[in-house]
Amino acid sequence: MTSDVRVPEELWEGDTEGVITAWLVDDGATVAQGDLIAEMMVEKAQYEIEAPVSGRLVIAKEEDEVVAKGAVIATVET
Amino acid sequence: MNASLETFELQRPAVEAGLALEEALLETICQGESRFGLVAWSPTDRALVMPRRHERVAGFPEARRILLDRGWPIRFRATGGTPVPQSPAVVNVALALRCQVGSSAAHLEWGYRRLGEPWCAWLEALGIQDVDLGSVPGAYCDGRFNVRIGGRKLAGTAQRWRRVRGSRDMAMLAHGAMQVGDTPEALVAVVNAYQAAIGDPQRFAAGSHVALGQVLPELDVDVALPKLLHGLASLVSCCVF
Repeated sequence: MTSDVRVPEELWEGDTEGVITAWLVDDGATVAQGDLIAEMMVEKAQYEIEAPVSGRLVIAKEEDEVVAKGAVIATVET
Repeated sequence: MNASLETFELQRPAVEAGLALEEALLETICQGESRFGLVAWSPTDRALVMPRRHERVAGFPEARRILLDRGWPIRFRATGGTPVPQSPAVVNVALALRCQVGSSAAHLEWGYRRLGEPWCAWLEALGIQDVDLGSVPGAYCDGRFNVRIGGRKLAGTAQRWRRVRGSRDMAMLAHGAMQVGDTPEALVAVVNAYQAAIGDPQRFAAGSHVALGQVLPELDVDVALPKLLHGLASLVSCCVF
């Protein structure tokens, strides 16, 4: 079973895109629910993204990649 | 000097200590110890401060050396944006809030307005006209919510969002950096030196910036600033979050 790690939908208005500024864990690493796994930036705001569940992280979007609201940036395999 | 989260007075730590003060402020919200907080500080030293992702830029190590030789060490901050000079000519104000994304209309613009609108009201109360929030083409670290005087950038704003421990709530830190002294030319030159050192052709214009001291040369910032902080606190205390 996999769970998506998504860019939050409600953080900002409009269709401005953000960018993944850092992955804080490696692709394939084991993460626990609530672990800080990535940072993204939009509108000069840094936003921390946590693992939604525990499991193995599979990164879908690389650092410096542009992402839209709601985009899946990774999955966690449980 | 020891910095504190318990005062509405302007504090004067070194740049690194000031950045740590803001991080501590955000952490008090994340740990559930408080629902909002404020801190104002002006550095005793100087540095060019930027998000850590800039460390990945080609030519960064050489740029860091060049800036250090000019007396501007590079430091990293937790909020977003691009390089900004910090010096005794800059006053920083950080507002931290606990909020619920979605259910209380808390989002990035909401956060910027919670910081920026009282800032504009404070400037107007000081007798300054043509104050608003907006972008400033040609300014370094431009964004949609700079505090402007006559269309020139007085204060840049940025944010950091983090989950409150054990909760669905979020902690927001909104930060503003206002040039109060020195000349725009002096600070813009530092950012342009960094641009040149990393081989980025973009240059910024001093004419896009303004220092508060140019507009109100007699102003004692230490005396005036507590009114801004009280204005921020009173607006926050009356809103639902």
